[in-house]
Amino acid sequence: MRNPWAQTGNYRTSYVQDTTIFANYREIVSVVLLLVALCILPMFLERSQVLVLNFILIYAIAVLGLNITTGYAGLISVGQAAFMGVGAYTVALSAPNLPFWLTIPLGGLTAAVIGFVVGIPSLRVKHLYLALATLAFQEIFVWVVGRSPALAQGAAIPVEMRNFLGLEIGFRNHNFFWYYVILFVLVLMVMAWRNLLRGKYGRALIAVRDNDRAADAMGMDPGRTKLFAFALGAFYGGIAGGLLAYMQRAVVVEEFTLGRSVALLAMAIVGGLGTVVGSLLGPAFIEFLRLYMERLSEWMKSNAFIQSITPAGVDVASALLPLSFGLVIVLFLVFEPRGLYNWWRLLRSYFRTWPFKY
Amino acid sequence: MKRAMVLAMVAALGLALAQGRTVNLLWSGAITGPTSDVGGPYGAGIEDYCKYANEQKLIPNVTLNCTVRDDQYQNPNTQRIFEEALDRAKPAMYLGYSTGAMLQLKPLINEVKMPTLPASAHIGLIDPPNNQYMFLPVSSYSEQVVALMEYINRTTKNAKIALVVNPSPFGRAVVDHARRAAQRLGQSIVDVREVGGGNLDNTALLRALDAAGAQFIIHQNVAGPVANILKDAKRLGLDKKIRQMGAVYTGGSDLIRLAGDAAEGYLWASSYYTLDENTPGIALQKQLAAKYNRSPDILNSTNYTAGMLAAAIAVEAMKRAAQRFNGRIDNETVYQALIGMNGPNAFKPGFAVSTKSGIEIDFTRSEQTGAEGLRVLEAKGGKFVPVTDPFTSALFRQVRNP
Repeated sequence: MRNPWAQTGNYRTSYVQDTTIFANYREIVSVVLLLVALCILPMFLERSQVLVLNFILIYAIAVLGLNITTGYAGLISVGQAAFMGVGAYTVALSAPNLPFWLTIPLGGLTAAVIGFVVGIPSLRVKHLYLALATLAFQEIFVWVVGRSPALAQGAAIPVEMRNFLGLEIGFRNHNFFWYYVILFVLVLMVMAWRNLLRGKYGRALIAVRDNDRAADAMGMDPGRTKLFAFALGAFYGGIAGGLLAYMQRAVVVEEFTLGRSVALLAMAIVGGLGTVVGSLLGPAFIEFLRLYMERLSEWMKSNAFIQSITPAGVDVASALLPLSFGLVIVLFLVFEPRGLYNWWRLLRSYFRTWPFKY
Repeated sequence: MKRAMVLAMVAALGLALAQGRTVNLLWSGAITGPTSDVGGPYGAGIEDYCKYANEQKLIPNVTLNCTVRDDQYQNPNTQRIFEEALDRAKPAMYLGYSTGAMLQLKPLINEVKMPTLPASAHIGLIDPPNNQYMFLPVSSYSEQVVALMEYINRTTKNAKIALVVNPSPFGRAVVDHARRAAQRLGQSIVDVREVGGGNLDNTALLRALDAAGAQFIIHQNVAGPVANILKDAKRLGLDKKIRQMGAVYTGGSDLIRLAGDAAEGYLWASSYYTLDENTPGIALQKQLAAKYNRSPDILNSTNYTAGMLAAAIAVEAMKRAAQRFNGRIDNETVYQALIGMNGPNAFKPGFAVSTKSGIEIDFTRSEQTGAEGLRVLEAKGGKFVPVTDPFTSALFRQVRNP
């Protein structure tokens, strides 16, 4: 038997080996090390920096869901923020009566049911037409919330949790507490994602994405698979929305508009569609881009020379923020459509084959 | 001798520390993104007033570190910016912006006891729970809409009114209060429509409101959508039939610029003085806009005045906190100074109209609205001119908590 720690290639000899969650021992060790690093990371950060991490991890869960629907099943969805909203509002309504470890899965399940219904048009339409159907759902969601007295007509519904197993949760430890909860949920969701995709349901998603008629001929049910993809993607969105509701202490409809759906789609594209690593890298990249462009913008505003060469009355520094977001998406689509995941893959490949070029 | 020298050194050190002391003030709002037409001038007003406060040493021995940040009208950004400020340079006061973000931050603001003046005048911000540290610089959207309904009632009994509001918590804030006020005034709300920024053709909307018998349309929106509706009403010849009016962000120079002559006759409820009036606040506004090279659009914007008023209240509260608490300026002392800003201690910077009792800005622990007075102004000859004296809505307090 080859030394599993020095494995340089794919030596699988059975289907069972081919469907393992982790490809080799090195992958297990690197995941464990990453988790340990993520667990101790908040010790070196300020409260507000942990908040940024929390947003990234929550968006990562939502993007994982989007990657099931769009990345794996190939069903374009521009309604992921609305699914997050379904989860968030479910949490807001149930939080006064249920503990958070029940409200969050409940939010996910409610979103999954709605996702199943929203997925019905996918049985008849594809591509741009399906995208428009999900866009309609996104708009319907905002419309319904805005007109429902039970949902405060889109104004804030407080979601407060002050105590967990005797631990007082307040300003000082709120972000840290939710960081560990979100991280735990993210790990669970990633494991479930990987587990799903190595099985027959995951492979059915890929088959249906590549050619649904061929998948049908092979005995898969494309309709059921598409509905499953929508429901599961929405479940992930609902979970992410529920976590966001607790972390932000209140639910407001502005968090779940079309703009957020587009941002999630951008994160999935920038990260790399249909990949776990991409689902983590995409949100991190977009959030850090926002942060650093904000810093650059503030520096430009405070720099007398820059101010003197910019046209009078035009706030170039402030305009950098929205400009950079659009530019990054366009550049990725043109130059690296496989997203950041591809860079990660090339990097890994380089170290695996070092010192040889190939 | 030694003792005297040590004492002198300690005193000198204390003096040096006192002179070099910095107090932080934070504003985050939409300089870019949706409603940046409001946020841009508002932020500029805060920035300029802060520079002026430092130049004039309005707070003796204290340098004001005024941070103006762009949150792009995105709540996660607002939350991050606020929490970042709490971690790094705990501000003595927070000047906020949008309705959604402020409603969302309310529990945290209350928990950290941060006196906050939002640009949003949503009544929910000063309604319980978690409302203790929120203060509105001027009367709420709801109060302004009810005041407009009272104004209508002066000339037209049993009027039929339609509400056209922004499709957001900001727009919807007034609907319930307007319904209750209409009931008491004998008026009827014939329709409530939500109109956002993409309203390129309002023919169907105006025809429907006309068919419903609306004599008046009250807008709770920003200037852009209102300007489009005014232009379409003129095109359809409904401008003579239906009188249009609105609260806070619907009027001002932005509306005149966008709607042109279609704005003529539009009625606007505002707590602020106009640029044509000679008050200390407006004179300062003109002076600072010239000094800091602000464009005519910013100078003419009421939102520039609003930003200055918010900053002026903050600076005054800090100054009073320092006087009252032996130089201590932090969120606790500023809060105390703010709720003591009433009666003979009311603040009168000359940006907003005074009520009959001569008070411009006053706050108490339970009364969290600053300028309760407002006027109705009419667009005439390309500018807004007041058509009423300053008044306070008599009915609003009855319909707020029925």
